[in-house]
Amino acid sequence: MSTEPTPPPVATDPTLRRVLLCFGLILAVLVLVVAVSLNNLSRTVATSDWVNHTHALITELDTLQPTLTAAEGELSRYLLTADQRDHTDYQNKFAELGEHTDVAIALCAGTPAEQQQFQQIALLLAKRAEVASQIVQLKKAGEAAALQRLLGQDAESHDHRELAQLIEKFRATQTDLLSARDRTLYLQAQTTRWTVLTGLALDFLLLCGAAWLIRDALAARTLANRLLQQSNAVLEEKVTQRTAELSATNAQLAAQSLEDRWSKQALEHQNRYNLLIIDSISDAVFVVTKLMNISRLNPAAVHLAGFEPVELIDKPLARLLSTDGAKDPAKPTFDPLARTLSEGHELRDRAGFLATKGGQSLPVRLSIYPLRDRDKVVGGVVILKLSAPATP
Amino acid sequence: MSNTTRPPFVPSHMAPIPGSSRKHILAIDDELPILELLQEYLKAQGYRVSTAANAHEAKRVVEAEAPDLIISDLQLEDTDGLQLIEQLRIMLPKTPVILLTGVLFDPHVVEDNLKWKISSYISKTAPLQSLVDEIRRHIGR
Repeated sequence: MSTEPTPPPVATDPTLRRVLLCFGLILAVLVLVVAVSLNNLSRTVATSDWVNHTHALITELDTLQPTLTAAEGELSRYLLTADQRDHTDYQNKFAELGEHTDVAIALCAGTPAEQQQFQQIALLLAKRAEVASQIVQLKKAGEAAALQRLLGQDAESHDHRELAQLIEKFRATQTDLLSARDRTLYLQAQTTRWTVLTGLALDFLLLCGAAWLIRDALAARTLANRLLQQSNAVLEEKVTQRTAELSATNAQLAAQSLEDRWSKQALEHQNRYNLLIIDSISDAVFVVTKLMNISRLNPAAVHLAGFEPVELIDKPLARLLSTDGAKDPAKPTFDPLARTLSEGHELRDRAGFLATKGGQSLPVRLSIYPLRDRDKVVGGVVILKLSAPATP
Repeated sequence: MSNTTRPPFVPSHMAPIPGSSRKHILAIDDELPILELLQEYLKAQGYRVSTAANAHEAKRVVEAEAPDLIISDLQLEDTDGLQLIEQLRIMLPKTPVILLTGVLFDPHVVEDNLKWKISSYISKTAPLQSLVDEIRRHIGR
């Protein structure tokens, strides 16, 4: 099961956080400004629609009285001329008045107060239309007296004055509302203007803050980078210095290693050479300790005695060699030779006998040379030569 | 004298680079480990080293490019070191020769009997640095 190393947590840069916060605030302000502006725009559009509606209503109100006057004028002409064309004009004018009334009623339909207020005007207009209709019918019927009486009654009525008052009142109400809506529109425009300007100012300040933060962070990073480069230069110099030291040490070690190998090689060579000298001698050579125990023998000694080196190493030389030809080789009878080393003098060309592995006792001439190390006898070398066979 | 396997020829990587400004040394010895050690050490000291295991190879190297210094063992496979040195000195009379051998000579013997044949005598038991010191004394770095 392998466990992958988890990456170290990424440290959040506080400057980055602040800059992001600034841009977040800028975005929030922009969104707020846009929302407020859109809202104000919607309200302005609604207000503008209402203003147009009010203007249309006032326009319709302004046309009612002149149209009524014109229609009643056409009626008077018809009464005088009894001409069918005047009758038609009278009807058209009243129809026109009806259209204006219908339009005004439609414009008031959305507002119950206006609807109620205009209802009185509409009733008066309907009453005037009804009176005109009765007058025309009496005229057509030729009832002059009734016509005269009706006209007299109508002249005494205050419909026109009441109508003028109602229209004027209604118009004044609409004009007041129009002024209020104008003020509202102005305030909305001002609100939008200030909202946009305030938002822009806030965004500008936030942008300045973000720019300052970025500039500050960049300056800090430039400084840190410079310090890092300086540290790197110092570190690189130290590494170079250390590398040089290591290289020098390595070279020294390599040289020392070669010296060691050379010494070992030289020692092996010297040892081999020394052994070669001993092994090359055709006489039997025994190297013995100070106590006359065999420590080394050359091939000629092996050949002469018939023993393998392993059978003789660390064994007393007296078991092989004697000066009196004793039959018991185990008997220590070679004291004169041992005394030679203990006393530190040489013994040259002395007669003796060598006991071989095959049980023979060979007559030999022997010499003993002490091995001296700084004037101290540490062992000896025994050289044997076969004696010449005795002359009969 | 030695059971060491002798190199049949001078390996190409041991051959000197002709025209190089480094001093050229010819090392003659019948033991390959000795030659390898000498070559490695002297190369590290800034010398170009050619090696020869016998007289025939030594002469071939000398003919190819005369060395600035010769290091020779005393006992070689096909001849005596001193005899080879005499032959090489005929070819290169001014080239210094260092006798590097495991055979121990009495310094007086060297001074009296060998000074006409060799420039220096160094025992193989001496440190390699003493050999380099001797080389520098003769031919510099």
